[in-house]
Amino acid sequence: MAPPPAAFERRVLRNAAGHHYLRVRLELPDGGARPSAAQLKQLVVAALRELHGEVGAALPVDVLTYEEKTLSAILRVVSSGFVKLWSALTLLGFYQNRRCAFRVLQVGRMASPNVSSCCVIAWLGEHVAS
Amino acid sequence: MVRFKNRYVLCEVVAEEPRGRHCIEDRAVATAVRDAIARAYGDYGLACCSMSFTVKYLNAYTGTVLLRCRKDFHRLLCSALPLVRQLESRGLRCPCFLSTLHVGGTIRSCQKFLIQHNRRQLLTLLQNCTNEEERQRIRQSVLSCSLTEGQSQSGDEEEEDDTETD
Repeated sequence: MAPPPAAFERRVLRNAAGHHYLRVRLELPDGGARPSAAQLKQLVVAALRELHGEVGAALPVDVLTYEEKTLSAILRVVSSGFVKLWSALTLLGFYQNRRCAFRVLQVGRMASPNVSSCCVIAWLGEHVAS
Repeated sequence: MVRFKNRYVLCEVVAEEPRGRHCIEDRAVATAVRDAIARAYGDYGLACCSMSFTVKYLNAYTGTVLLRCRKDFHRLLCSALPLVRQLESRGLRCPCFLSTLHVGGTIRSCQKFLIQHNRRQLLTLLQNCTNEEERQRIRQSVLSCSLTEGQSQSGDEEEEDDTETD
């Protein structure tokens, strides 16, 4: 009558989708309204849609951190879409009819530990990466 | 040694209304496919597929279309074909869809497949005939196909376009 003991199972995915991380900064030379975190994500998705179509816009991109004062953010993307994201960011020229440019400062495969405190990441994560 | 390799995609245009046949033109099909690729894959996909993209052959009676693209990007083209929903030409708009029949490396391989496919289609149409008169007409048109000096298509057999049975 007792349930059978739970078997221990270990799954290893060899080609599991890793993530690539990019530290970017948005340059808006004119002093206008700065985009919020949600607007930044919309801008990134719009850039992907313009260059790579619906397939590119459907890439799972997350904005892990975002500082509105310096307009710098850390983006996370699936490794298979890394080239698409970087090329889309490079070729983005306008935000709300204002000239802008994305400067990619750092790329990597593991998020650096000295990004921010964990609670800030968690809060921004659930606010933006929905 | 190094040459540009192409892929030829053989598709069939299926339209629900019989008067949609007039819309099937090479320019209309090319624009419709280009728009579908641009929507699905953006500027990059459009540029990739447009490198060697043409409509090589079109048959408005049977709705057969032969498209050509570069070998490296034929998967882009094949995956964007189901997204074509309508053909527009001369102000006429007819809803239709493209179904892929065969992907080959040369026009000759596509032609061989098309001949076999048309033969099978004729047999199916003959079986699905409801009255004897249609059967007689099909038999007559098949028997009257012959190689003459004026005809350029040696292998393609034309189907009756009024025997559209499901």
